[in-house]
Amino acid sequence: MSLRRATVAAALAVLAVYGGLLASLGWFLDRSALCATLTSTRMLFALRLSLLTALVAAALAVAVGIPAAYALSRFRFRGHQLVDMVLELPLVVSPAALGAMLLVFFANPFGAWIQVNVVRFVFGVAGVVLAQWVTVLGMTVRLLKTAFDEVPRELETVARTLGATQSHAVWTVTLPLASRGIVAAFILAWAKALGEFGATIMVAGTMAMRTETLPIAIYLRLSSADLPGTVALILMLVGIGLFALELTRRLLRATAHA
Amino acid sequence: MLEVDALRVSAGRFRLHDVSLSVGRGECHAVLGPSGAGKSTLLAAILGVLVPETGRIRLAGADITTLPIERRGLGYVPQQLGLFPHLTVRENLVYSARARRIPAARFEPVLERLVAATGIGALLERSPRTLSGGERQRVGLVRALASQPQAVLLDEPFAALDEALRRDLWWLLRALRRDWELTILLVTHDLAEAYMLADRMTVLLDGRVAQQGDRMEIYTRPAMPDVARFLGVETLEAGRVVAAQDDLVTVEVGSARLTALGPVALGAEVLVSIRGEDVALSRTGGAGGSARNRLLARVVSLREGSPLRCVELDAGFPLYALVTRPASEELALRPGAVVTAVIKAPAVHLIPRRSG
Repeated sequence: MSLRRATVAAALAVLAVYGGLLASLGWFLDRSALCATLTSTRMLFALRLSLLTALVAAALAVAVGIPAAYALSRFRFRGHQLVDMVLELPLVVSPAALGAMLLVFFANPFGAWIQVNVVRFVFGVAGVVLAQWVTVLGMTVRLLKTAFDEVPRELETVARTLGATQSHAVWTVTLPLASRGIVAAFILAWAKALGEFGATIMVAGTMAMRTETLPIAIYLRLSSADLPGTVALILMLVGIGLFALELTRRLLRATAHA
Repeated sequence: MLEVDALRVSAGRFRLHDVSLSVGRGECHAVLGPSGAGKSTLLAAILGVLVPETGRIRLAGADITTLPIERRGLGYVPQQLGLFPHLTVRENLVYSARARRIPAARFEPVLERLVAATGIGALLERSPRTLSGGERQRVGLVRALASQPQAVLLDEPFAALDEALRRDLWWLLRALRRDWELTILLVTHDLAEAYMLADRMTVLLDGRVAQQGDRMEIYTRPAMPDVARFLGVETLEAGRVVAAQDDLVTVEVGSARLTALGPVALGAEVLVSIRGEDVALSRTGGAGGSARNRLLARVVSLREGSPLRCVELDAGFPLYALVTRPASEELALRPGAVVTAVIKAPAVHLIPRRSG
C-alpha cells in the first residue's frame, strides 16, 4: 500500500469514528420527541443559559487573555516559564478536578468571604460562568499567545520609530494583525465553554431550570433513561459546535483575504 | 550628529564591547561585519530596543541613551517585514504623522516631494502585500524619511533583493542622501553596498570594532588579518622584512621579494596584503613605468567572476590578479602561461603579525 493510500485511510478512519458515533444517534432519533424536546421550556432555558454563560466566559477569557498572552509573547519576566506551564493545567487535570479545586477554594475563609460579600458562585449561574472560564482560560491564552507570536516584533519597533508610543503601536499594529487569531481564540473558547460539563457540575450542581446548561441537561436526560431526549440535546450541541467551527473557518478566511 | 561612545551591550550570550562611532551630518557611515559580529545588536541598542550596560548615545548633541524609541528622532528601515501589511501604502506613509499628530498641511508637502523623488505615486492605494521587493523598500524608505528623523538607520535594507534592483536602489539612496542631506547609519555585510554608499566605515568582528575610518583606507589598508580576510583581500601571505631604507622596505614572501612602503622594523613578521586589481599582468615584462615590483609568474588557474576574472599565479608565493575578460584574452592567459606581474609599492600593504 502506498504512503498516500495508507495515510488517507487513517484520515478516513478518524472520520469514521466520529461519523459512526453521530450516525448511531439515528437509532434513537424520534422526530416527535425531537420536536418536543427542542421546543420545551426547559430545553430553551438550557440553550439560553449555555449560550449566555459561554459567551461571558469566553469574553472574560479573551479580555484577561489578551494582555497575559501579549506579555508571554513579548517579554521575559520572572515566572514566565511557570505561567507558560500552568496554561496546560486544564488540559492535564480533568475538568472535574478543576471544579473540585474551585469548590475547595470557596470552602476556604477567603473564598467563603467572596461568596458572602461579592458573588455567590457555588450552585449559582455565576458558578457556571466561573467553571467555564477556568476551563477555557489556559487554552485561550495559549491561542492568543500564538496569535501574537505570529506578528513580528520588528513591526512594533518600526511603529515606534515612526513616533508611536508602545501602547499606540500595540493598538494600531499588533492587535489588528493578531485579530484573526483573537477572533479564532474567542470562538473556540466559546465552543469549548458551551460543552463544559465536569467543572460546571462540581461548582454549580445539576439544578433544573437554574444551573442546567446543555451538557448538564444531556446528563439529566440520560440519568432518567430519556434516550430520544438525550439524542435531541446531543444533536443540538453538535449543531452549535459545528456552526461555531465553520464560522471560525469563514472568519479566518475572510480576514486572510481582506 | 550621531555619536556612539563606548557602548557595551549584552544580548543573550553575545556581548558588544565598547563600540564607539560617529556619523557626521549628511554623512553615511557603514557598519560592516559578518553574521554574528554584533551589527544587529548595535543597531538595536541605538534604536532603544536593547538597553546598554555602559556607554552613551548622542544625537545632535542630546543624550538619547535612555530615551524611549519613539522620542529618539531616529528613522529605521529594516531588511524586510517593515511595512504594516494591514494598511495601504498611503496609510503606511502617513502613520508617523498620525502617531505624532502632525497637521496634514505640514506633513503632506514633504510626503509629496518624497513620493515624487522615489516614483511610488502609483502605489499609494495598494496593499503592501501586492508590492514587489524593490517597491516595498522604496515605500519603507519614504515612510522613514517622511517622519523627518535626524538620522536614519538602515538594517541591510536591500539584502533580500536581486542584484539589478539593489543597484537601482543604491543610486536612489545616493540621490536622496544628496538632496535631503540625510545622515545615515547603514548596517550591512555587503562590501559593494558599503563602498557604494558610505563615506566612512566601521568593521565589527566578534562584537568589537576591528577597524574604523575612511572607506578607501579600510579597503586598501586593512589593519588586521581578520579584517583583510573579511574584506576579501585576494592575496594574503606571511612575509618578513629583510631590508629597510628610508620609507621603502623589502619583504621576503615565499621565494620572492617585494618592495613596499614603510616604515616597518627590520626583521618584522608581517602579512602581505595585495588587492587583486592592483596586480597588472604583462606578457612583455612590463618594461617602463614606475612600479617597483616585477615578478615572473606562472598562471596556475583562472576562475570566472563577475565582472572580473581571477587569475591564480605562482610568483614564488600564491598571488592573485583580477583582470577583465578582454585583457585575459589579449594576454592569452591559460594555466602554465608565463607572465610578468607588476605591482606598485603602495599597493603592497603590510599588516603587522604577532610573533609566535
